[in-house]
Amino acid sequence: MTAPRLIFLPWLILISGLGLTWLVWDHERQTTTKELHSQFDFALRDTVSRIEQRVSNYEQLLRGVQGLLATTALTDRKAVHDYVETIQQDANFSGVEVIGVVELVSAARKQTHIAGMRQLGFPDYDVFPMGEREVYAPIVQREPNVGNIRKVPFGFDAWADPVRRTAMERARDSGMPAISGKVQLRIDATESPRPGFVMYLPVFAHGLPHDTKEQRRANLVGWVYAAFRVRDFMASMYGSPVPGLSLAIYDGVTFSDTTLMYAWPEETKTVARNGSDGPAADEYMVLAGRTWTVALRGEPEFESRFRRGVASGIAAAGAALSISLAVLVWLMVTARARALRYAALMTEELRLMAQQDPLTSLPNRALFGDRLKNQLAWARRHDGRFALIFLDLDNFKIINDTHGHGVGDVILIEVAQRLKAAVRTSDTVGRLGGDEFVVLMPELTAPADAMGLAEKIRIALREPILFEGREMCISCSLGIAVYPDDGTDETTLVRNADHAMYRAKERGRDAAVLASQS
Amino acid sequence: MLKRIFVTVVLTMGALAAAHAAGPDCSRPYTLALHDHGLLYSAETGTGIDKDVSDELIRRSGCKVSVNLMARSRIWQLIESGALDFSLSGITNADRDKFAGFAWYFSNKYYLLVRRDSGVRTLADFENNTKLQMGVIRSFRYSESANKLVDKMQADNRLSQAGGLAPLYQTLMLGRIQAMIIEPFDYPTLEDAKIREATSIIEFNDPPVPHGLIMSKKALPETEQAKWRALITAMRSDGTLRRIFEKYFTPGMAASLVDF
Repeated sequence: MTAPRLIFLPWLILISGLGLTWLVWDHERQTTTKELHSQFDFALRDTVSRIEQRVSNYEQLLRGVQGLLATTALTDRKAVHDYVETIQQDANFSGVEVIGVVELVSAARKQTHIAGMRQLGFPDYDVFPMGEREVYAPIVQREPNVGNIRKVPFGFDAWADPVRRTAMERARDSGMPAISGKVQLRIDATESPRPGFVMYLPVFAHGLPHDTKEQRRANLVGWVYAAFRVRDFMASMYGSPVPGLSLAIYDGVTFSDTTLMYAWPEETKTVARNGSDGPAADEYMVLAGRTWTVALRGEPEFESRFRRGVASGIAAAGAALSISLAVLVWLMVTARARALRYAALMTEELRLMAQQDPLTSLPNRALFGDRLKNQLAWARRHDGRFALIFLDLDNFKIINDTHGHGVGDVILIEVAQRLKAAVRTSDTVGRLGGDEFVVLMPELTAPADAMGLAEKIRIALREPILFEGREMCISCSLGIAVYPDDGTDETTLVRNADHAMYRAKERGRDAAVLASQS
Repeated sequence: MLKRIFVTVVLTMGALAAAHAAGPDCSRPYTLALHDHGLLYSAETGTGIDKDVSDELIRRSGCKVSVNLMARSRIWQLIESGALDFSLSGITNADRDKFAGFAWYFSNKYYLLVRRDSGVRTLADFENNTKLQMGVIRSFRYSESANKLVDKMQADNRLSQAGGLAPLYQTLMLGRIQAMIIEPFDYPTLEDAKIREATSIIEFNDPPVPHGLIMSKKALPETEQAKWRALITAMRSDGTLRRIFEKYFTPGMAASLVDF
């Protein structure tokens, strides 16, 4: 018998195994999520840092021009030209489209300024957009002034454009570099719109102080600027963006088509951060006084680089192992119990084999003998009456010899079925061997009842038996002995029933004969 | 008598030599970076507490120091690498202690500025409502419990980083973030009626955190750091620092910041 607590052992092992699997699976999942977040954070930090450093490089570049103009006049075109020509060789500055000079021109000085520029060799020079304003800030020089850029006229009043003007004012007041909002560059004015921005640095009059805001406003003479197309600016950064990430840059903090400066891949549409399925972050960069929003989104491809199915593998393997282990333990724990059960089953089978005819499943001679003995004892005690009917198939040997044992067996099985169907439930049918059957009929009131049953059986057996499309006819001879009329002990009763049966055979078979009448 | 004169001369010369030795080594030019942050420094006006402190520090040191404006995150990177010598208003932690020395000159508390419509009354309210987002300036550190909150928000992917205060106020007003951490220098922005109406302030229950001159350990040997620290100490003890803070705060507030 299995100890009760051992019955729970396989379950305990299964639950512990699955629990452990869950813990490992959860740990792996969390580790992967952490790794994913940290890689994503790194990509964001890296992107932001690259942009910052790039802007910082361009600030330095522009400070160079500003420094140059601290030593020479704003109108020293050759100095600016030579300076820019030198640095343009450097691929580090490939993101900048053009470096230029803007001169601050008061309304009073406008005509003198225009005349001066025309004298310098720009006969068509004028300040535009047209119209009278208090102050003008026309572009007077662009470097490198080659190719298509050469065709773009000087004289564009940057101060008249509110987006540029905001940055120019900020540069003037702080003395620091300032970048504009999203603009279309003048050199791109005739082409399809390409997002750009301009970085300004103020230039002050030589020898005059510019330590305070008031001094800077009073002594400003112009600006140097660098103009950028955002796409070229981004392309000038080393390395490529991380696969599986989409990146968008917006001017300011709102997401819209009008503020979109750059998108990678190009068709990227920024979804709100909390509406994104994967990792998502918005970073608000402040670059030379201007806010840019960097929206980074992780696409499914990015996630799949980290989720390589390790977690699901752990879950599957862990569950399979837990179940196998639990089954193994169950087998070990219940081995004794199952062995005992098997032994009991075998014993029962052996017992049946000892008492049952294997072909027809009817009680065999031994069991029938027991039943007869019990019936005899019962009848003696209660002055009861019972009948013993012997049955022998007629000419069965011929069937066996003609058609083979297989057919004979089928007939024997069918006979057994019909016998069982014909008798009462209290009656016992047995097979003594060969084609000999026997019926014990207890609680008999009159010998005629036994004769009735024998006749019923005889007629039932006469019904043709269908086998493999053939009809086979069989009959039987029956002999009946009644207790106590035909004997009061087993031997006498059996002998008399047997005699009566032979009597029936002698009378031409297919008949039932009572021992008392034989 | 002669002996007394001799002693006096020797002592005076010794004192002069000591005074000279006490000053920082000016044999090379230094770099100092400011970051745009409320009253500490405004790039727009070119003025602020840190600008005043740096002007005074440079004047007292007698050294050539070039001053630049940078994002705070970049300042910490350069201080760590030794490419930048100084910055101002820095606070420390175990990491920063490894690469930076400090000379404290004021201390202040931190506050959480939250949108009123977020329904947040306590710090726990904010932390527990996973729908709420927070904005911080990249690389900024705060008092202990504020740092804990920021780290948790970062782990929960509820944090947006910014390069300065201005975009944080803008996104707060747009409702894209619901809270940000502020310091007394950020009060002038709160005078904006729109922001004041839409927000409320929750105090972090931490002691005030000291802020100071940041010195790169890679760029400045310990002995040099001590000399610059002495300059700051002198500015505190002679009332210069308090006077600078009084330009920007009420006398009471200035005192609470510089007396710690």
